[in-house]
Amino acid sequence: MTGFNVSSGPLKYDTEFAREIYSLENGHHIKKCMQCGMCEVSCATRKEMDYSPRKMFLLLRTGQREEFFKSNTMWMCSTCLMCKVRCPRGVPIVDVMHDLKCYAISKGYTERAQAAFYQSFWKEIWSRGKQFEGGLMARYYLKRGWKDIRKDAFRMKDMGLTMLKHGRMPLMPPKSVKGLKDVQKLVEVAKAQLQKGADR
Amino acid sequence: MKYSFYPGCSMEATAVPYLKSFEAVAHALGIELKEIPDWNCCGATVASGVIGDYPAQVMTSRNLALAEPHGADIVVPCSSCYMNLAITNRKFKEDGHFRQMADEALASVGMKYGGSLNVRQIIDVMVNDVGLDTIKSKVKKPLTGLRVAGYVGCQTPRVFPWEFDDPEQPVFFDKIIEALGATPVKFPVKARCCGSSHSVAQPEITADSCYNIITSAQDDQAHLIAAVCPMCQLNLDAYQDLVKERHKLKTSMPVLFFTQLMAIAMDLPPDAWALKHNIVSPFTALAKFGVGK
Amino acid sequence: MAKKIGVYICSGCGIGDALDIDALAKVATKEYKVPVCQKNAFFCGKEGVEVIKKDIAENEVTYVVIAGCSGRVNYDVFNFGPSVVLERVNLRERVVWTQEPDDEDTQMMAEDYLRITLAKLKNLELPEAYVIENCNKRVMVVGGGLAGMTSAVEVAKAGYEVVLVEKEDSLGGWLKRSYKIAPLNSPYTDPEDTGLEARVKEIEGNSNIKVYTSTTIEKTAGAPGMFDVTLKQGGGTLEEKVGAIILATGAVPYEPSKLGHLGYGASPNVVTQAQFEELAAKGTIARPSDGKAVQKVGFIQCAGSRDQEHLPYCSAACCVESIKQALYVKGQNSEAAVYVFYKDIRSSGQYEHFYKKAQSEGVMFIKADVTGVTDDGGNLTIEANDLLMGSPTMADELDMVVLANGMVPTTAFEDPAYGTEAQEEAACAAADAAPVPAPIIKSNILNLEYRQGPELPSLKYGFPDSHFICFPYETRRTGIYAAGSVRRPMDMSQAVGDATGAALKAVQCIEMTDKGGAVHPRSGDISFPDFQLNRCTQCKRCTEECPFGAINEDEKGNPLPNPTRCRRCGTCMGACPERIISFKNYSVPMLGNMLKSIEVPEEDEEKPRVLIFACENDAIPALDMAGINRLQYSKWVRIIPVRCLGSLNLVWINDAMSKGFDGVLLMGCKHGDDYQCHFMKGSELAGIRLSKVSETLDRLGLESERVYMTEVNVMDYDRIPKIINEFVEKIDKFGPNPMKGF
Ligand code: SF4
Ligand code: SF4
Ligand code: SF4
Ligand code: SF4
Repeated sequence: MTGFNVSSGPLKYDTEFAREIYSLENGHHIKKCMQCGMCEVSCATRKEMDYSPRKMFLLLRTGQREEFFKSNTMWMCSTCLMCKVRCPRGVPIVDVMHDLKCYAISKGYTERAQAAFYQSFWKEIWSRGKQFEGGLMARYYLKRGWKDIRKDAFRMKDMGLTMLKHGRMPLMPPKSVKGLKDVQKLVEVAKAQLQKGADR
Repeated sequence: MKYSFYPGCSMEATAVPYLKSFEAVAHALGIELKEIPDWNCCGATVASGVIGDYPAQVMTSRNLALAEPHGADIVVPCSSCYMNLAITNRKFKEDGHFRQMADEALASVGMKYGGSLNVRQIIDVMVNDVGLDTIKSKVKKPLTGLRVAGYVGCQTPRVFPWEFDDPEQPVFFDKIIEALGATPVKFPVKARCCGSSHSVAQPEITADSCYNIITSAQDDQAHLIAAVCPMCQLNLDAYQDLVKERHKLKTSMPVLFFTQLMAIAMDLPPDAWALKHNIVSPFTALAKFGVGK
Repeated sequence: MAKKIGVYICSGCGIGDALDIDALAKVATKEYKVPVCQKNAFFCGKEGVEVIKKDIAENEVTYVVIAGCSGRVNYDVFNFGPSVVLERVNLRERVVWTQEPDDEDTQMMAEDYLRITLAKLKNLELPEAYVIENCNKRVMVVGGGLAGMTSAVEVAKAGYEVVLVEKEDSLGGWLKRSYKIAPLNSPYTDPEDTGLEARVKEIEGNSNIKVYTSTTIEKTAGAPGMFDVTLKQGGGTLEEKVGAIILATGAVPYEPSKLGHLGYGASPNVVTQAQFEELAAKGTIARPSDGKAVQKVGFIQCAGSRDQEHLPYCSAACCVESIKQALYVKGQNSEAAVYVFYKDIRSSGQYEHFYKKAQSEGVMFIKADVTGVTDDGGNLTIEANDLLMGSPTMADELDMVVLANGMVPTTAFEDPAYGTEAQEEAACAAADAAPVPAPIIKSNILNLEYRQGPELPSLKYGFPDSHFICFPYETRRTGIYAAGSVRRPMDMSQAVGDATGAALKAVQCIEMTDKGGAVHPRSGDISFPDFQLNRCTQCKRCTEECPFGAINEDEKGNPLPNPTRCRRCGTCMGACPERIISFKNYSVPMLGNMLKSIEVPEEDEEKPRVLIFACENDAIPALDMAGINRLQYSKWVRIIPVRCLGSLNLVWINDAMSKGFDGVLLMGCKHGDDYQCHFMKGSELAGIRLSKVSETLDRLGLESERVYMTEVNVMDYDRIPKIINEFVEKIDKFGPNPMKGF
């Protein structure tokens, strides 16, 4: 039998971990998955994922905590919505992926390039109310550390120059949103509301 | 035809040619655009993955609240912006619980959104409000013989499947191309993903996705690709060198915003074409329509 | 009625372009001396039809032959009432659409088809209906569970009287033993009350329904429209007369003591679904060993079902039952852990919603092969191979394990009260290389006074045989309809639909019988077989072979036909070695004359002839479809339709070979366990008969492959040319039939 090798000895179902996942914003939807595999064959980035969405949901349901944190599935999701429109059970798979990213970050699993990118991107929005390519890149590379950056990064630099040449890479960031304080407050309030809901 | 306009972060930066051509085309079609005052980022595909869906949607709803006083539907060109704004707006209309919570959050900064607007994708506006006949009537230089691969991208048709188009094989974008006198090619990958969200952290994924799209357009003998979404255009255009190198691809494929094609077909001044911003040169493909540098 | 034939040759639809119509007309007028023969370019048009009507009215034409399109089209246009014999010669689909136009061989084919029809008329008479006096229009429903009660109500609603017989002391069946049932109504997400009281009240309040409880059937004699049923109640008996019967006796759970490998018997905490239902009905679900309210429950699906060692079939209802029971547990304690170990979840129809609901409530579904259930002093452990995780797995500390133990139809059990006498007799009769009679399990339910045995013939697993694809309620006993889980495994919502369908069939049967017409598939056919009993040798072929058990026997062993049980397939006619069974419009000599009317060219003309007997139910439509799609096939074939291959009398093969045909091809429906034969056994019986011919042919030095039987269904129309041409090529290789010209 080709297995997941998740454990030696018989597998036991960790309902506690599953429950924790179900309690995420969209987590309860995972319960509806009937393991049909439609998402698996529809996924744009399936070949980059170690576990397809279907298998990921199976892991979560059976409570494979470790395996979840090791997996890259949610980070590889490119939000193309194909699975969401096709899932016969109406699982909003993309939204679940959002939750899984948040959850992984909140548990300190931030070493993936994608996690760094997500955080840098968010910092940009948080500090400006808008996103600025230059700022994003700077933050991202700062976060990753230059030594981590692969060959591609240099090509990325070339690309940046080309874009600059074609007038598509402003050097100056856009003006911050005037109501930035409001933007930030909205986010804080919403997070608190969620927290309250979860505590209840 | 009056609209609130949500340009989104890329329009002002990497997608300048889109902004320029769209504004000119809109003007010529009698569309009045009013940019939402002091709009903020929609969160793209990223905010939800860091702070969660609900907080990201509340953040987005600020834009809806800012637009409401103008009393016109919001037109959105970018696919992610459209996704976030449209879903949030829909929740205000249909999800009582969400609305109650979001109202509470908005009130904390003295704002309010009554849910009176519609969030509209740019293709939807072109086809259903402007109308294909009107577009046809404004075409002065039909792009006869130009084979165009209409790339709709992933989110645009799938946010609300079937509401204005087929989520997997959309047709309306091709109809716009047809209205300009050009020939839309089959291009089966027109709604597949361009891998945009990996463009920074793992650009090879983006390059591979773009490779599929470019070669599909080439297989169908397209002269160029027309795009709707600023990010798709950027990836297909700016990453094309990377694609060519990774996949030993020889020929280039120009990638234009469809509004650039509209500007050309409607014979608007070259400023509106904004072709100098295109990285892969479109001039050879467009030479026979009197388009030069 | 004087026989005056009118032949009407249509030249529309390209017929006139492909054929020499005048030459064709000469076949009628010169060869067959037909008094009236008309030609028209558009017979199905208003004027064309008028021409025929005028001949009927003024010229006293009584036998109308229209040579044009297939009899499967324009039947409404060419309808001249019951007093006119109408025959259609299919020149369009069968000749001009499948053959080369304007060709000598095509013309010969068309002329042969006209000859076949004119020869047919020689032996053809208008049938008269067999109408019984005082056709009884009541329906008996056997079994007072959900299906039976539903049938009773539906029949009564249609305005017919019902006799409802239940062997227990009250109505309800499984509903009585259920705490709740799977939802029968939208949104199909929550278990529903059984509604038993309301259902019983509806029946008791309906003056059209007469209910017998604590009653069984001692004997069922008669036939549709005139069944005499002897009921046994307490010590005594009583009689009821009915016109049709619905069998709705349901199913019983598979014997759990056979499920020791899944822990049954090892612990009181391993129970069946039925036992769990009882526990739920008592209030809080507590485990039997110590009364502790359950917190962790495991369900094992397909316990016995889909298992070659036990029940090879899917019991169809147990997935939904387990979903329901899992929801009981969740309803009692939303924190309870519920595991369902399944092979596949088969929550068909609307029950997908029910399944989704259980998942949303947190019931955990595990696709796994269960390897064992163990008891560690009160708590239970299920060990399994989790097929999706690809790993051995276990769920331990379970309070209870519920086995979804499937169902077995009530017709599957032989009642020990029966001797084996009848069976032996059947075996004797079958000795002479005759077909093996269908298994009839003496379940002591209907106790039919039928020559072939006392219950409905079964096909597999003890379920009564019924035509699964086309007419699911029609069993092999006309006028007796099986519905609900006795017919096949099904859940309650399906049983309700089934019961309604059977009610409709029962009513149809009664009305048809009243008019002397047949039920499916020859609905409305009023012809029926006539027995020339003075020549009967009492060989029992007909009584044995009739797929519907229509023929009983008198004390002397003479066949006793029951026309209202008859479906008009002609199997008896095909079986009878003395050829004494015939219909007014279908008989052995008639078909013999038809095939003899075909002109078989001499050997040196190098025009072989292959005769095809094609079943009217599927093969003929497929041949028509081939024509409609303009598929071309060999010009050497001549096709004669038969009611069913079962009606094939071997003398026809004999006739064909002596006439000089080079080969005979039989096209009929699929037979076997997944048969499609519209008369259920017809094509199978033809196959058995044919096996005898081969010996004879071989003995005569003729290649037995010259006679070949093949299966065709409507959807095979695209294969028709291949089937025909390959056979013709094969025959070609054998060379001409040496009996040609004798
Ligand atoms: S498509 Fe939906 S139901 Fe099917 S495996 Fe994926 S998530 Fe599960
Ligand atoms: S949305 Fe994500 S998970 Fe779904 S198909 Fe697209 S890339 Fe795959
Ligand atoms: S209904 Fe379900 S449990 Fe019952 S036999 Fe079929 S698959 Fe197995
Ligand atoms: S025609 Fe068929 S159904 Fe009727 S008695 Fe003969 S074999 Fe039986």
